[in-house]
Amino acid sequence: MTMSIQLQFDEKRRKAITQCSRCGFCRAVCPIFDLTKRPITNAHGKIILLKEVMEGKLPATEEVAKAMLRCTACMNCTVNCPSGVDPQEIVKAARRDMVDIGFDNLFKAMGEVVEKYGNIYGKEKRRDWGHRKERAPYLLFLGCVGAYREEESVKETLRLLDILKVEYTMVDEVCCSGVLEDVGYKIKEDLARRNIQEIQKTGANTLITTCPYCYRVFKDHPSYKDLGLEVKHITQFLKDFDFHVKTDKKVTYHDPCDLGRHAGIYDEPRQIILKIAPNFVEPRRTRDNAMCCGAGGGFRGAFAKESVKIARNRLSQIIEDTGAEILLTECPSCLHNFRNAKRQKQKIEIYNLTEFLAKLYGERTLGEKEAA
Amino acid sequence: MIKKLIEIVGQDNFTDQLEELVPYSYDASMNVHRPDAAVWPETAEQILAIVKFANEYKIPVIPRGAGTSLSGGVVPIRGGVIIDLSKMNRILEVSIENRYARVEAGVVCDDLNRELAKHGFVFPPDPASSTVSTIGGNVATNAGGIKGAKYGTTRDYVLGLQVVLPTGELMRTGSYTMKCVSGYDLAKLFVGAEGTLGVITEVTLKINPLPRHAMTAVATYARLEDAGKAIFQTMTSGVIPSVMEIMDKVTLQSIRENTDIALPDAEAMILTEADGFTWEEVEAQMEVVLGILKNNHPIEVKTARDEKDRLNLWKARKSAYATLARVSNSFVLDDVTVPISRIPELLVGIQGISQKYGIVVATFGHAGDGNLHPQILYDEYDPDQVERTEKVEEEIFKLAISLKGTLSGEHGIGLSKAGYMTLEHDPVEMDLMRRVKKALDPNNIMNPGKRALDD
Ligand SMILES: Cc1cc2nc3c(=O)[nH]c(=O)nc-3n(C[C@H](O)[C@H](O)[C@H](O)COP(=O)(O)OP(=O)(O)OC[C@H]3O[C@@H](n4cnc5c(N)ncnc54)[C@H](O)[C@@H]3O)c2cc1C
Ligand code: SF4
Ligand code: SF4
Repeated sequence: MTMSIQLQFDEKRRKAITQCSRCGFCRAVCPIFDLTKRPITNAHGKIILLKEVMEGKLPATEEVAKAMLRCTACMNCTVNCPSGVDPQEIVKAARRDMVDIGFDNLFKAMGEVVEKYGNIYGKEKRRDWGHRKERAPYLLFLGCVGAYREEESVKETLRLLDILKVEYTMVDEVCCSGVLEDVGYKIKEDLARRNIQEIQKTGANTLITTCPYCYRVFKDHPSYKDLGLEVKHITQFLKDFDFHVKTDKKVTYHDPCDLGRHAGIYDEPRQIILKIAPNFVEPRRTRDNAMCCGAGGGFRGAFAKESVKIARNRLSQIIEDTGAEILLTECPSCLHNFRNAKRQKQKIEIYNLTEFLAKLYGERTLGEKEAA
Repeated sequence: MIKKLIEIVGQDNFTDQLEELVPYSYDASMNVHRPDAAVWPETAEQILAIVKFANEYKIPVIPRGAGTSLSGGVVPIRGGVIIDLSKMNRILEVSIENRYARVEAGVVCDDLNRELAKHGFVFPPDPASSTVSTIGGNVATNAGGIKGAKYGTTRDYVLGLQVVLPTGELMRTGSYTMKCVSGYDLAKLFVGAEGTLGVITEVTLKINPLPRHAMTAVATYARLEDAGKAIFQTMTSGVIPSVMEIMDKVTLQSIRENTDIALPDAEAMILTEADGFTWEEVEAQMEVVLGILKNNHPIEVKTARDEKDRLNLWKARKSAYATLARVSNSFVLDDVTVPISRIPELLVGIQGISQKYGIVVATFGHAGDGNLHPQILYDEYDPDQVERTEKVEEEIFKLAISLKGTLSGEHGIGLSKAGYMTLEHDPVEMDLMRRVKKALDPNNIMNPGKRALDD
């Protein structure tokens, strides 16, 4: 299907697109290109498509719209681009444009689900996580992926906060809905308002998120500008705590794209890990060059199989580089994708950092009981 | 055609969908043309079958690595089928005892070097594009790295090849030995041939032990000629530094204004490095180099104090291309090369041409082997600038040739420089090149339209 309407490119967009020097350096880091070896899936390929659309050489087709969905918004190309291009910004803008001129994508349905059920999975019922206080200084926000897909991990995170005697409460949260903006649609203002209201009712002064994506939305999105709370990712919140547990196991860490490249939070998780795991090794691709797990930017939603394959590649890479027994991260999406990807014969255990901490505390109490 | 190609490589390794062909219409130069299809073969046998078929029906085929070519060499100017070697990326053998590595052509240069580093070895000629460029592409363009003056270019490391010939035969040529005079050196014929003579499917490369120590120094000059002299005197001093890079005023200014790297306001900066297996060896070499740098009226000469300092100095050189790419939406990056003693004349000449046409040209490059990279900055959407840029390029080529130099030290001729081939090569040589091409590729299917070989 070819639409007669053409995309409009303002000066800023034109400049961003023509800034690409076609050096191809993004091939080295794009997780989707790494998997497919097809140039159209690379940052470079997507930008060239848009350049041709912009120059009127190529019609804006369904296939162009589809190509734009092949991006995890991981920003690994951005930090490696010699020409200073931020391809995922260009791609996200193009997704919105394609929707505007009539190429709706599968996330339209997700938007409707989110609107109706308040979560991305269309679940009617939410598990009762307890921890309801009228008032508390801290508020913990789980986000959809943790609450509906990694429940065991979330349970441990809550237990850790209890062990550390953090005075926190939880609310009837709904999806922050920020991700809709990345896939061509608009944030749901009424959901944002609901969250703000619920959160403010608690009188908390700090909002703690486990999900790095929620963190970014609460912190930066204009729809949450009236939130009036300090927003912290849980690794920022926990970095100065003393932990009275340790592990001798070989531990490594995967930087979630949303936490690392998008939010600049690299040191805090490491500060925590170094307190509890002296045998810590970095993967070769780490910090701002950490390879994406394949889950972000709507990619898992649109291309589930490929997404898991990327996680598999990243996991094998980490195992090969480090030989670690424990892989830590702090993102429900990364955790979920890695756990789905892990093959049975792979011995590595995968946890969110907070979950792992709770487990260490658990083992310690167990040890103490046995000793007594 | 479609049916046959799918039969050979499978549905998943074939495309003729317009959108997928768009990225295959480009490389890192300003040339553009659509192919008709693209395939991702996984074995040499599949490539053989594709080429046989293409030869029978006279369909152009274009071998492609990472597409980082700067000459239009990989742009399918006559359409046809792109043979993308990215999926043939296995390192087949690393033989430390025999000092060679055998790899499929699609192996990425840095991936090979990461593997070799585990053994304390290296494949030295790594182009600035080595994070993505393929060994096949490196061989086909005879790519050079920053250490060319001391360690040579890709050609010096190619021992043997497996090639699919345009007439549809699979050939092994060369040897696994350090030396070989058995018959014509056919392997080297394919080195730098820019995919016009066959598809390279496998490469056997000589490898070197990694030097253990290195020391970096930097010198700035108020006059280009002084920098040029320092380079040329160093290269004739008996010491061969592993690196001898130069950056001109425009380059330095662009880096200074667009990054937080503090650089002096000088006409030229030289960055040099000596390497070796002991510190004594490195220090002895550096002493000679520093003496020469200081003798040529520098503004300042300094050595890196430690590894951090060293990396910082390198950051400046490495950001040259990048910052220049940021300041304008289009550029041409050339690679004219002259005998080392002519470097000062080339540098000054390029400045003059730039001023004459009012087009910014930033020059940096591997001065130690006579190879400079004038980066001509312009706006591709401004026809007047495009025209002046073409003139600038032509004059730079003419200048290089008049200095007994060459059009291309490492990027190749491709499309961008095809029109200038006769500047450098006389009719006898051009004719022999065309006869070689015709002898190997009678139907002109292998990357046709390049290097003025078939028009
Ligand atoms: C930012 C940047 C920096 C660069 N720096 C350098 C540098 O320092 N030194 C340097 O020498 N070059 C440099 N280059 C140029 C380019 O990267 C090199 O020429 C590189 O070797 C090309 O490799 P590729 O895999 O990208 O090949 P491609 O661009 O895909 O192809 C290049 C040519 O080789 C042919 N070819 C590719 N694979 C095969 C094969 N298997 N069999 C037969 N023919 C084949 C193609 O048909 C084409 O003619 C640079 C380019 C860029 C964009
Ligand atoms: S690295 Fe940047 S400039 Fe190079 S091709 Fe990718 S997006 Fe373009
Ligand atoms: S943001 Fe990530 S997935 Fe998207 S183009 Fe860049 S490297 Fe590829």
